[in-house]
Amino acid sequence: MGDLPVLSLLLLMPTAALGLIVILPRTSKLAIKVVSAVSALLTVLLAAEVWWLYDVDGPQYQLQQIVPWLADFGISYHLGVDGPAVLMTLLNALVFLTGTLSMWTLQERVKEYFAFMVTLVIGVFGVFVSLDIFFFFFFYELAVLPMYPLIAVWGSSNKEYAAMKLTLFLMAGSALLFVGLLALYWSSGLRTFDLVALGQHAFDRSFQVAIYPMIYVGFGILAGMFPLHSWSPTGHVAAPTAVSMLHAGVLMKLGAFGIFRIAITLLPEGAKAWADTFAILATVNIVYGAFVALRQTDFKFVIGFSSVSHMGIVLLGLNVLSADGLNGAVFQMFAHGAMTALFFSSVGFIYDQTHCRDIGRFGGLAKQIPIASAFFIIAGLSGMGVPGFASFWAELLVFVGAVRGYPLLGVFAIAGLVISALFMLRVYLRAFFGPPNPEWNQLKEVSAWGALPRAILVCVLLIFGFYPRLALRLIGPTTSLLLRRF
Amino acid sequence: MNTTLLALTATTGPLVSCFLALVVFRRRPSLAIGAALLGLGAAAAAALALLQSAGPPDHQLLMPWLDSEESRGMPLMFGFLLDGTNLIVGAMVACIALLVAIYSIGYMADDPGKSRYFGMLSLFAWSMLSFVYAANLLQMFVFWELVGLASFLLIGFWYEKPAAAAAARKAFIMTRVGDVGMFVGLILLLQSAGSLEVLELCSSATIAALPQGRLDLIALLLFSGIVGKSAQFPLHTWLPDAMEGPTPVSALLHSATMVAAGVFLFARFHPLLVASTVLVQVALPIAAFTALLSATVAMVQRDIKRVLAYSSISQLAFMLAGLAAGGLHAGLFHLITHAFFKALLFLCAGAYIHHYHSNDMVVIGRAGGRNMHWTTAGLIVGGGALAGIPPLAGFFSKEGILAAVGGLSSPAPLIALYLASFLTAYYTARMVFLVTRPNPASGLASLEELPQKPAREAPLSMRLPLMILTLASIAAGFAAKRIAALIDAPEQHPSAMMIGSAIATAALAVALAWFEYGRKQATQRSFVERMPTLHRLFLRQWYIDEIYRATFGKLVAALSGLARLFEDQIVDGTADKIGRATVVSGRAAAQTQLGAFQVYVGSAVIALAIFAYFLGR
Repeated sequence: MGDLPVLSLLLLMPTAALGLIVILPRTSKLAIKVVSAVSALLTVLLAAEVWWLYDVDGPQYQLQQIVPWLADFGISYHLGVDGPAVLMTLLNALVFLTGTLSMWTLQERVKEYFAFMVTLVIGVFGVFVSLDIFFFFFFYELAVLPMYPLIAVWGSSNKEYAAMKLTLFLMAGSALLFVGLLALYWSSGLRTFDLVALGQHAFDRSFQVAIYPMIYVGFGILAGMFPLHSWSPTGHVAAPTAVSMLHAGVLMKLGAFGIFRIAITLLPEGAKAWADTFAILATVNIVYGAFVALRQTDFKFVIGFSSVSHMGIVLLGLNVLSADGLNGAVFQMFAHGAMTALFFSSVGFIYDQTHCRDIGRFGGLAKQIPIASAFFIIAGLSGMGVPGFASFWAELLVFVGAVRGYPLLGVFAIAGLVISALFMLRVYLRAFFGPPNPEWNQLKEVSAWGALPRAILVCVLLIFGFYPRLALRLIGPTTSLLLRRF
Repeated sequence: MNTTLLALTATTGPLVSCFLALVVFRRRPSLAIGAALLGLGAAAAAALALLQSAGPPDHQLLMPWLDSEESRGMPLMFGFLLDGTNLIVGAMVACIALLVAIYSIGYMADDPGKSRYFGMLSLFAWSMLSFVYAANLLQMFVFWELVGLASFLLIGFWYEKPAAAAAARKAFIMTRVGDVGMFVGLILLLQSAGSLEVLELCSSATIAALPQGRLDLIALLLFSGIVGKSAQFPLHTWLPDAMEGPTPVSALLHSATMVAAGVFLFARFHPLLVASTVLVQVALPIAAFTALLSATVAMVQRDIKRVLAYSSISQLAFMLAGLAAGGLHAGLFHLITHAFFKALLFLCAGAYIHHYHSNDMVVIGRAGGRNMHWTTAGLIVGGGALAGIPPLAGFFSKEGILAAVGGLSSPAPLIALYLASFLTAYYTARMVFLVTRPNPASGLASLEELPQKPAREAPLSMRLPLMILTLASIAAGFAAKRIAALIDAPEQHPSAMMIGSAIATAALAVALAWFEYGRKQATQRSFVERMPTLHRLFLRQWYIDEIYRATFGKLVAALSGLARLFEDQIVDGTADKIGRATVVSGRAAAQTQLGAFQVYVGSAVIALAIFAYFLGR
């Protein structure tokens, strides 16, 4: 089994599914869904296999596979994973599976929808396992590209506007990245796009300081960094359920992952020079996002801004540049991914029936649809940082790192927990508690099949929430290798 | 049986029953109740067995839990610490949880949400017991938060009632304000001491190694968590509102055990906390003031649960005052006795409420509450213990606290506590007299229709816990020596004069209450009512909620409004302007619906061209 190119298989699996979906006639909707679900299940198993094969005490990049491609330009098909990549691969597979299951009732343009969605998934997998900057960027764009049609066609409320806005922001980010990454290529003089090779090159300090913000901001836009975050809540709101799940669950993580994998790894001096600035911005993300969420009336806007706040925790952890900070940041990418997927899956269930997302128009949902409500409430608890859920540990570590590096910012970020609790409880009180609104008395409770994706996500949050070392054993060795560069 | 297994049973037993009741037996309430009773019963048996086998501190590390660079290369561990302090409190928590669960069978008999109720009760028991037996502060914090979660869910058990939902939110937020401080304190402690193990943090070597300023800061931050959880001024106002939850919940969580978690934390880290003189100087006035403030509010309420709620705040303040004054034994002893007699009082109140469907003591009294004999006996015994009448439990433990506080150089806290003791005895006697000696002629207006209902004793499931707790409220007072031996801290005995004056204070207060409420010709009007301003102040709970609404409430609303405005106008507004311009030009250029898409593709082509140019250079 060890000789099998698992990572290539991980990319091939959804690609084969994409091929099948394209071939299948558009009328065989069920078949398309089954293909998607089966390939998702297989990728989950493959991701588990990757986890199993990855030796936490081994070298940094494992399961490598190199096929030279455009040797003249120094581009090669180079795959490999480190601890964080293993974790994120698992997350992506899980969100792929649960997202597919959450869209089981889709009837409109099923074929195109799943084709785009699977493309997005391939792109995300590609980013996590690529060790060549060219392919990294290629997959990155592949993941971002389908967002436009997915939102513009299957979305709701102001969808074209949202899709356009998202595309423009991400384009701007890509442009910055593009310049930054090319600068890396030219400046090293190695004529290679290989991340491992570039990692051995010490870039000139002034070069690092000049280029780092470009790459950081380029990726940061996708991670929802303040003040370039406003595309993200709008995008969440307009996107259909599974797209929101993938978008907030894994796509935003690509940005943070890029900062970790490329910006900090290759430009440690630049990271140090800019850490103060970006740590302050990240703290603004946390506190400001929570305050804005407190004033939203739309379910998805609340969650959208909560994502802005929670991604701030990731960014703060990345800028702390200590073991605890980095471990916490990567863990938070995973935890937040599972949590927001749960959020959007739960809200999607309610929206699909009511076509209403106005919190004020609901009330007593917990009475009307207790199980479906329980899922949202559980996601909310995780969002508030209640222990027992994975995000608690991630936040704890980021805060431990922050209090050491930036005590004042750390305290602000921790105080943000009160505001997160306020906006989440506000949603509980308005929509789920209180007297039921008779308008929605006919709501159907979630079926066992429909509850499955959400139950999976809850289990993931709980398992990593009770035994955080499961993730930390993966992340820790990688980050300590990374920190040797500093 | 080995102690690890016992501790695991005590903690995971309720966890299993929680899962069974909430998930497996969601639609089978009787099975859910059975599961909960089994889990809680196992926990109580295990906790008692642990208490029996108590020896020197038994420190058991089960598994590595969290890696942090702050902890000297060692992962933080998950484990149990089994020593006197933990074992006593653990046994008390497990027993009262079981009794309350039994009581709830009768109390919640007609409620459709029984499975959820018993599941959440088990959730609470699991978190609370795990908190008590925890080996380190991190583990304590985790379960401290989960206890808060259980409290939130149980206060909001009848979530369709807006008042209950609002009370649940208030409890969550106010305790979280304290917890944020505690969280920072925990992180600083980890940073400064490199460990979070209870025994290590309490060792004199660790304390001596901490710089004084750091120690003071950490102590104050931890204390903010205690203030939130144990409902002390200025974070106390959530507790009276928490009475919106079912009465057995109020008995278990909001008087006997959960709110005592703060006090327990203080006792647990006693050496560390009292090493900070700044903390002692802050904690004593807060405790003394809270004791007085809440006693004044309790003396004018008519809602029996509100009286008891404010009484709990006041009694928790007594414990904290004792601990802050250095009386580890006194504080812990009062924690135990208070748990028994206050649980008893709440369960009695629950029996009346269950029967008469009213919380108003005047209504209960006039409808014939005293004819529920077992309940009334419990009320009198519990009330006597609360008032500090010998030889009931509360008398002995309160004496210990007065002795500890009396040893201080400043007399102010002692005077405040004496005054609070007087008021305690007064409002307790008032409560007992209003229920047992109704006086329809007194002109006290009835707020509700009187339910003309013959008194009927509560069902056995409710009566049995009442009887057991009644006995415990008598007997617990004689456990002082045993507790002292277990926790290895000396008992503090007050002087004969202090004992005499304490008894006299209580007697005087009861006499006053008898004069005003008890005797045949009583007007049932309190002396405070002659001072309308003061009376209104007490009745409105010192306007503290109103003040918070006008300050913090407004502040948060303003900040969030400002943030929203900034987001919409500035951050998003700017982006929109750029975006709209592009959409317009894109549409014009492409003249199709998919124009925007083409803009994207077009831009990508341009980008690729630049890429090719660079590559080919």
